[in-house]
Amino acid sequence: MRLPSRWEIFWRTVMGRAYPRVVGMQRERSWLLFDTLLPLLQVSAFVFIYRAIQAPPEFTGFVVLGGAMTAYWLNVLWSMASQFYWEKETGNLELYIIAPTSLMAILLGMAIGGMVATTVRAAAVVTVGLFVFGVRVSIVSVPQLLGVFLLTLLALYGLGMLFSSLFLLYGRQASHLSELFQEPVYLLSGFYFPVRALGFIAALGASVIPITLGLDAMRQLLFPTMMAQFRFLDVRIELAALAVLSIVFLWLARRALNYMEDVSRREGRLTVRWQ
Amino acid sequence: MTQQRALESTRSLKMAAWLGWQIASNWASPFLLAVYFIAKPVAGALILVLMYMVIARGGLRHPLFPQIFVGNAFYMYVAMVLMGVSQAIHEDREHYGMLKHIYVAPLNIYTYLLGRGVAQAIVATVGVLIMLLFGIAVLGISMPPGTIDWGMLFIGWLLGLIGLGFQGVLLAGIALITARHAFFIGQGVAGALYMLCGAVFPIDVLPKPLQLLGQALPLTYWLEALRRALLGVGAGALLSSLSDGMILLILAGSMVLSAVASVAFYRWAENRAREKGLIDMQTMY
Amino acid sequence: MSAELAIKTEQLSRVYKVKKREARGREREIVALDRVDLEIPTGELFGLLGPNGAGKTTLIKILTTLLAPSGGRAWVGGVDVARNPWEVRRHINSVSGGESSGYGLLTVEENLWMFTQFYGMDGKTARGRMRELLEIVGLADRARTKIYHLSTGMRQKMNFVRGFLTDPEILFLDEPTLGLDVQTSHRLRAFIKGWVGERADKTVLLTTHYMYEAEELCDRVAIIHDGRILACDTPGNLKKRLQREVVFRLQVTAIAEPEKLFQHLQGVRRFSHAEINGHMELDFILEDENALPPILTAIQASHGELISLEKREPTLEDVFISLVGRGLRDGGRSAGAAEGEP
Repeated sequence: MRLPSRWEIFWRTVMGRAYPRVVGMQRERSWLLFDTLLPLLQVSAFVFIYRAIQAPPEFTGFVVLGGAMTAYWLNVLWSMASQFYWEKETGNLELYIIAPTSLMAILLGMAIGGMVATTVRAAAVVTVGLFVFGVRVSIVSVPQLLGVFLLTLLALYGLGMLFSSLFLLYGRQASHLSELFQEPVYLLSGFYFPVRALGFIAALGASVIPITLGLDAMRQLLFPTMMAQFRFLDVRIELAALAVLSIVFLWLARRALNYMEDVSRREGRLTVRWQ
Repeated sequence: MTQQRALESTRSLKMAAWLGWQIASNWASPFLLAVYFIAKPVAGALILVLMYMVIARGGLRHPLFPQIFVGNAFYMYVAMVLMGVSQAIHEDREHYGMLKHIYVAPLNIYTYLLGRGVAQAIVATVGVLIMLLFGIAVLGISMPPGTIDWGMLFIGWLLGLIGLGFQGVLLAGIALITARHAFFIGQGVAGALYMLCGAVFPIDVLPKPLQLLGQALPLTYWLEALRRALLGVGAGALLSSLSDGMILLILAGSMVLSAVASVAFYRWAENRAREKGLIDMQTMY
Repeated sequence: MSAELAIKTEQLSRVYKVKKREARGREREIVALDRVDLEIPTGELFGLLGPNGAGKTTLIKILTTLLAPSGGRAWVGGVDVARNPWEVRRHINSVSGGESSGYGLLTVEENLWMFTQFYGMDGKTARGRMRELLEIVGLADRARTKIYHLSTGMRQKMNFVRGFLTDPEILFLDEPTLGLDVQTSHRLRAFIKGWVGERADKTVLLTTHYMYEAEELCDRVAIIHDGRILACDTPGNLKKRLQREVVFRLQVTAIAEPEKLFQHLQGVRRFSHAEINGHMELDFILEDENALPPILTAIQASHGELISLEKREPTLEDVFISLVGRGLRDGGRSAGAAEGEP
């Protein structure tokens, strides 16, 4: 009997693992409230902070964009980075390991499946931001904007895959590690203010988080006038850097996942629960 | 019977507080735990600091900054207590598979849930203290011990915390009847309330309908009480006409109302969960 | 991949290091497997018996590439499990008793389909096999039920189906009938036997706590204890080892401290006892029948009364007790050995 090739197993795994995410969301729709309305209100808080200190209207746009991107950051932290930890707790991880498939395929399937809810959340924030808060944008280049957005996501999810192996290897109660990364990244990546405010060196260091460059580039392409005084790097440099980060993170993720599996097998951690 | 119930409640509270602490503290090396205690609150504070430095005239010397800083610091309780209480349902049900055993045991579920919030309240207290010290030592916010109204601080803090605990019970009721992706309900609600309760800007800035909503929230008065106690002055004009005593009275009243409403809602959610067999439901995806 | 030996281990060992914090200040080691040598030919239904903590699950975890050995080597289908785990995984599957895998919001069909995708199975083949297998385990009418609505037994049936769905060459069954009712267990055992019997290229490694299951299904059985294989042979041959000895079962009224009472008696090789329905059941393995009268005297001296006495043919459980020194069932039996016996 012909055994399927690695490639065939890879793509079937991606579809197979994306399926529970897509279907799960349809069957229990409370996420529509928790993942759209509530984050909108949180973003609005930052809009009102800027209004309270009489910031230029473009800053509302900065906050709206940052709020939209938090959806992806939280998806990476909670639905990718911590995911293998949860899979281990429910007994699914060992079944993934003994199957002739790749953990990257599993993670990719999760990412694609989760992308729907995440994009709905991000879109809700942007839409409300545009209409309710009267944000005005001047798009410099649609292809560049799309390119930045897609590369940011690629690099970000690569980072998420890298985290998933590290969390599993080193993290007890991975939810705490995810929490630990939330606020510091909001700060360092400039979710609610131009990252240049951190100073050039700090912003450079923070650029290892893909959202830092992605947000800065998107703000430059949507609010070119205001960002002229607040931009960090030229959009083309940021685009190139995001491309490099994507490759690096995906490569590192692959290495880390293999290493994680090896070490966990040696130390017997793949099936140990309730850590 | 009353004595038995009281014993049951105390036992539930103590056991849950111990359990909550075991879970909250058992996850990392002491070094990482220390980083967690410090990094989260300081990062949260610095976001505000940078927003003010970039935009506000006067930067950190803007007259609103100390009020906003204090409000933001204490707001940590909101996210952590709401999260701690509501997440207990998801953790116990889906992660540890223990919720059904808790229901079968002679425990008081309300004090159990409140107890699970105690550990988070402890962690939040450490974070708040670190933030306040950071504000005083690094950002130059003035809070001389001699000028602090300690009585108002303690009473306001306690009333607000208990009220938060009961609000967490209400969210736990929602968690009981929803799937696992509502794991973040505590955080999500805290994020939403952030806008309405004047944590980081006076509610005067909000549109009129939202101002009214803000004025209906116990949290608004809690933060106002804490600001007045620590800084001698609240934030914004809307609440300035209320005396300190009135603020505390409103806080006490809202705490009682929270307790009644939350318990009633949780009871309803519990009955619904029993009807639908949700107490040992597993909804990971 | 075809190999004469489906599974082979050579001096296979696994040692766990217990952290200082958990070992009260001293780091210590737990030897879960101690130089295990096994050879299981293709086409065999092989049983592994042992008490809790004997090393059965550790062995299965190593063979299914979940755990690395600390020493020695293992091959599954001729492939080294440590050096080429991906190749091993293409040919195996595993089912454990009490598994809680899958996603609660998905139906039985959807969960099973998802797992087939991890093996690269095309949808049509997967669905066809699924229908057959769900029928066999009696879950066909629950195919569209979300799994969080299933009882424990039904979930185990679903897990069972998951294991056979990919038609693996080598299947590891770790207490697969745990939690299942008698009828279903019987049906599944018949299915397992047929699956291996009708296909020369299929091999099953089964662990179980149920002696009758091992006797009914297995071509050969290995008894494992404290990480070591104590015996490995067909059930018939294992029982023959005891045939030169005599096995008696006595039912008596409750007596105090049976270990002290019988341990020093001449001719008593092994015994075990259990409290059942208010009286005590004693199983003795004796050198010969002459060892029986002193036992009866000892019972009388401790104010016990004999309810019944039965001479039996040795069972696999007796073999187990003779080798391990206690019964297999949790909390069921306690055992003693005569002085000088292992």
